[in-house]
Amino acid sequence: MNRSFNKSQSLRYLDCTAVEVKSKYGAEFRRFSVDRFKPGKFEEFYKLILHIHRITNMEVMLGYADVHGDLLPINNDDNFCKAVSTANPLLRVFIQRQEEVDYSSFGTNTLTRKKKAVVTLRNDVNRKRPHIRIGMPQDFRPVSSIIDVDILPESHRRVRLYRHGSDKPLGFYIRDGTSVRVTPHGLEKVPGIFISRMVPGGLAESTGLLAVNDEVLEVNGIEVTGKTLDQVTDMMIANSHNLIITVKPVNQRNNIVRSSRISGSSGQSTDSGSSAGFAGMPPPIAGHSFPPDDLESDEESDIVIESNLKRPSRRSTSSTASRAQPQAMPPAPPPPPPPSPPRPPSVISTASFHSQPSLNGAGNHNLSYKLHRDLNLQHHHSSTPIIRESNGSLHKILNTLRTDPRHSLALPRGGVEEDGTVITL
Amino acid sequence: MKRFRRHGQETHRDRLKQELYQFAKTVEHGFPHQPSALGYSPNLQLLAIGTRSGAIKLYGAPGVEFMGLHDENAAVTQIHFLPHQGELITLLDDNSLHMWTLRAHQGLSELLEVGRFTLTGPPGAPPSVTRVTAVLAHSSGELLFLGTEGGHVFVVEVPGFRELEERNISVEAVQQRVPEDYMGRRNLECVEALQENPLNPHQILIGYSRGLMLTWDLDTNCSRHHFLGTQQLESVWWTPDGQQILSSHSDGSYCQWTLNDEDRQAEPDKHEMPYGTFPCKAISKIMQLSTKQGPPFLIFSGGMPRASYGDRHCISVIHSKTHVALDFTSRIIDYFATTSGAQGKGEPSALVVLVEEELVVVDLETEGWPVIQTPYLAPLHCSAITCSHHVSNIPLKLWERIRAAGQHQSAHYSRKPWPVKGGQNLAPDAPQRDLLLTGHEDGTVRFWDASGVCLYPLYKLSTAGVFHADADTTDNMNHGAEGEWPPFRKVGCFDPYSDDPRLGIQKIHLCKYSGYLAVAGTAGQIVVLELNDEPAEQLVEGTLADLLQGQEGFRWKGHTRLEVREEAVAFPAGFQPFALVQCQPPAVVTSLALHSEWKLVAFGTSHGFGLYDYQQKNTVLVRCTLNPSDQLALEGPLSRVKSIKKSLRQSFRRIRRSRVSVRKHHVGNAAKLQEINARLEAEALQEMELAPVQRKIEARSSDDSFTGLVRTLYFADSFLSDGSHNSPSLWAGTNGGSVFAYTLRLPPSDRRMEDPITAYPAKEIQLMHRAPVVGIVVLDGRGAPLPEPLEVAHDLARSPDMHNAHHLLVISEEQFKMFTLPKVSSKLKLKLTALDGSRVRKVGVASFGSSRVEDYSESGLVVLTNQGDLHVISLPSLKMQVRYPCVRREDVSGIASCVFTKYGQGFYLISPSEFERFSLSARWLVEPRCLVELPPTPSSSASKPLPRAQPDGAAVQHRNFRRDRENCEENVSPRVMEHALLNDEKVLQEIQRSLEGDQTSYLEHHSKSKPGGGKLITNGGESSRE
Repeated sequence: MNRSFNKSQSLRYLDCTAVEVKSKYGAEFRRFSVDRFKPGKFEEFYKLILHIHRITNMEVMLGYADVHGDLLPINNDDNFCKAVSTANPLLRVFIQRQEEVDYSSFGTNTLTRKKKAVVTLRNDVNRKRPHIRIGMPQDFRPVSSIIDVDILPESHRRVRLYRHGSDKPLGFYIRDGTSVRVTPHGLEKVPGIFISRMVPGGLAESTGLLAVNDEVLEVNGIEVTGKTLDQVTDMMIANSHNLIITVKPVNQRNNIVRSSRISGSSGQSTDSGSSAGFAGMPPPIAGHSFPPDDLESDEESDIVIESNLKRPSRRSTSSTASRAQPQAMPPAPPPPPPPSPPRPPSVISTASFHSQPSLNGAGNHNLSYKLHRDLNLQHHHSSTPIIRESNGSLHKILNTLRTDPRHSLALPRGGVEEDGTVITL
Repeated sequence: MKRFRRHGQETHRDRLKQELYQFAKTVEHGFPHQPSALGYSPNLQLLAIGTRSGAIKLYGAPGVEFMGLHDENAAVTQIHFLPHQGELITLLDDNSLHMWTLRAHQGLSELLEVGRFTLTGPPGAPPSVTRVTAVLAHSSGELLFLGTEGGHVFVVEVPGFRELEERNISVEAVQQRVPEDYMGRRNLECVEALQENPLNPHQILIGYSRGLMLTWDLDTNCSRHHFLGTQQLESVWWTPDGQQILSSHSDGSYCQWTLNDEDRQAEPDKHEMPYGTFPCKAISKIMQLSTKQGPPFLIFSGGMPRASYGDRHCISVIHSKTHVALDFTSRIIDYFATTSGAQGKGEPSALVVLVEEELVVVDLETEGWPVIQTPYLAPLHCSAITCSHHVSNIPLKLWERIRAAGQHQSAHYSRKPWPVKGGQNLAPDAPQRDLLLTGHEDGTVRFWDASGVCLYPLYKLSTAGVFHADADTTDNMNHGAEGEWPPFRKVGCFDPYSDDPRLGIQKIHLCKYSGYLAVAGTAGQIVVLELNDEPAEQLVEGTLADLLQGQEGFRWKGHTRLEVREEAVAFPAGFQPFALVQCQPPAVVTSLALHSEWKLVAFGTSHGFGLYDYQQKNTVLVRCTLNPSDQLALEGPLSRVKSIKKSLRQSFRRIRRSRVSVRKHHVGNAAKLQEINARLEAEALQEMELAPVQRKIEARSSDDSFTGLVRTLYFADSFLSDGSHNSPSLWAGTNGGSVFAYTLRLPPSDRRMEDPITAYPAKEIQLMHRAPVVGIVVLDGRGAPLPEPLEVAHDLARSPDMHNAHHLLVISEEQFKMFTLPKVSSKLKLKLTALDGSRVRKVGVASFGSSRVEDYSESGLVVLTNQGDLHVISLPSLKMQVRYPCVRREDVSGIASCVFTKYGQGFYLISPSEFERFSLSARWLVEPRCLVELPPTPSSSASKPLPRAQPDGAAVQHRNFRRDRENCEENVSPRVMEHALLNDEKVLQEIQRSLEGDQTSYLEHHSKSKPGGGKLITNGGESSRE
């Protein structure tokens, strides 16, 4: 963590590799420096900011003033890197609390405009210029992306479907069929797997990236030739948390034409370069096979409930989970990294589970992090922002959640509700 | 990059894999499915059975077995051994004739097809002219007489199948000498029977369907005696003295004719209708066996009064004043009699009857004609098999006790030795005693000696006695009422109809050290039994386990609980029940585990699971696993089917007395929940033909049915709460991908009877991929699976490593996942389905010994997937080791029936009545190795002497002519390959050289190009079996 951030360094050795940083939270300033060429990870920077401002428990939003004076967000490695490299000479960082973020303040000319209007009341500004509110990318979750554009033939498309929670079905059907391949012996008909139907309103349809009669070539990097329809079905279902299918679209007119180098600048459509915003997203892998473990993202980790055995009840024969004693909160994890995709707001978690880290260590604290985050999201209006200190009242919170009419989740009287995202004790 | 770095290691690993794993299907146990023909060689003392699928199987002394398969998928209709030779002729449904030979090779015999032939008639003749209906293998061993539908008799020279046209006996030549008034305007119809004069090989008897019989002199090529029968002919028999001829007829009568000097006989000496007066059914086969002193044995099949007993399958045996109608439970295929002397001479000793579902041998020498127990061809399916359980390496003491219990049960069998004793069994003694337990629909558990090639029945246990069943108590073995006519006697044990399907056995668990047995059934009953060497009366009290735990609003619409008998019941020596748990609702038990050291039984259904203390006889724990949305599980999955079944049961029962041969094709009853997925798949397969093939891609959701179904239960002494104190624990895995763990507190042994056992919930794991959990294993500090209970106490296993951290292995249908303990966090995983789209159907832990190094062995997971492939996955590294195609993927019941042994072998059902045995281990292999000594004849020296390769070779077999239902594609090419290689002298020499020299280099070199390179060396022939 201290590899590239060194507080005292900046003032003593003002050489060209150091970038001076001035961060502002409310009325407080902090000054430090980062290495221009090795700025490090955004995550670390974020932790550092929280640390030096002593606001470790808080969800914040970072922004910086770029050369044109625009207030731009810092929320992933890429724009952090950009911010550091373009700082001239000072990098000005603005910190806002997550729940107080004023999205209208971001964007072109925002900073300069705000400077002018600094004497007027902000409400007035808003009244005068009603904005269409466009949320930050991190407040959305990706539902699909086209990946590996640079390594696939233009006639193929590799689509990644993200299925968070269970709010939307994947929603497509596949069938057997024949496709025509060019072989050394001329054209040959070979059996293939095709998309046969889309469920209206399903994830597959809503992405617009898959269509009926698209030929399925690969599922998560594994070719489907020689496999039966049932095998391919099982493979897709087994990968349904993170499904990557390579198709040959039946409509070849909408293909992405590779011009020169497409970099992360058009990351919206070609996700290959700027994937750092999504936790667990691997860098694009050349070649055709994905090591399955690398694809493992945190949404795949299993839920483990560990009961406290200290106070066993004699009649422990019932399934009512409320009898299981919640374990004490595990030792406080370091401040969680923010840039993981937010869960849908239906996530409720309790203190007594641990996330099971997938093999990439990054997932280690994700779940417990989400716990805070989600409770925060749910309750930022109810004035209990600091969850860690309210360990004992977790149950109370859960109970209030349970009765909260806004939650459409009907919790079962006993047992574990087996709806992917919800675990109650 | 990784691969390059570890290259050296991997080749070492590859070599090790070859030493550890080798796949072979070794032997088929049980009774051939749909037999269609029977043959017997009194000379070789071998019997042959042909099936409708075109297989032939030869059996001699126990352990002597051969199998062959015709390339044509046609039923075998006749089998004839060539007299005095090791050759046999089969006639198939498609009118082709095949010659098979038993050839000795490397000290072992093998069955080979050596020729085939189809009769070609004169050009333009209708096919009926050459349609073969009767075959006579002449005693010279050089001629075949083929009677046809057109009435001709063709003569063919064997071997070589050369038609001798000049010797053919045409129907026209016969008709010339038959009186005009007999012939009338009708033809003679087909040749029904061909017989050789037992004393004069130059004379044969031809019987025509219309009733005419004549003797034909082969030297003069003309007919001699004419017997002008008027009834439709069914069969003829030439008595061994050559003086008399018996003919049986379609009206249920038989006639006796004497050979005299008369040219024509219009009337028989004797005309009898044994079951007379009213119209009778045909006597399909008749034989008369003379005895030295006293009257002969007259044996015939059929002939029953049409109206009253026309649907019985009977063989009547009449000897002196004794007359018995043996009443079989399925259709009679064929029968023969063995004699005490060699070459078919001497006193008749036994009657061997092949009926559609079993082989029955009746001892004719012992008073009362008891049945001789068959050492092979056991009718596994006498009641449909509903589950099976294998226990390896049984301690001698338990083995002897079970055997002793079984001997009490087989008291009614004859003590005479098995009469078919051809060939020598050269297989080494079985390395250990193995038990295969099969559970049946009628509530019985059968114990089979599965140590060797012969699956031999040891003991039969019935659990029905515990309950008030509406079963009729008539014993199969009792004789008919006094004075009943015909004098029926029930024989055979095939009885596919269960009186109460709720009695069906679904799960079995036997502790081989303590002799405790737990069996669980269709109506949620769990019976705990103990081996007792003395008969005893037991009062079995039922304990009710309410698995719903107060869940409301659900109604069980399935079957009711079984009623328990409230009085003490007398049980014979053997396993005697002493504790009973009944689940409420009484759904089928889907998982069962017994821990004999802790004296606990865990059981699970589609509603939840429970833990029962059979020492204190109380329930320790009940846990409901139901998902409230899972209505289907609650109502009883097959309630509607059931009600139909119930209403039909009575009528079926009435019918079954008559039509037992109605086949039950499917193993197991419909309530087999653990196979529900497989079944749905099969249904989907059927639907495929109707609807356009389409599959929905959707993640598993909690709404799927049967998420609460408990698939697996496991006891482990491990670190559940903290890393320093191990404690007993119970693990349960469900269909919805949940794992529940409970810590068990056992009182000290001196307080075991008084203090209660308690269970506390410790952990719950929800696998996010939600696939059904099919197995749970805890690995000790060395990465080895925990030993079975009492295994360490009996000094048969290393005690588990309790110093290093344990690991939990959860096997779902899709993934293998290793977790750390006590804090459950994912450590390793293998995502099987994500990689190749196959799903785990069956899994077992096995120990694989190296074939090269005596004391090296590894544990691994043996997995059978829904694609029918076998995988071995290493422990604890979870790496795929080998993969072999084993079962056809469409064979859902075959896959569902698979059981693994602890030493890398396994069994699965290839038909309702047959287990296929396979081996994945290079060290352990059970397979037939036998030799049939042939009478010295010049024709059998055709086989080229082959260099003897690898004298101490691991017993490796490759059966090419096996049932093609499995992996026929895979088999074809190696067969051709082997054949080509082995007929090439150069290759053989090279093989020998390489064997003398560097053995491994050859193996490496050749095994790459051809799977099973090792087989080539040790087998050395394209044999079907040795």
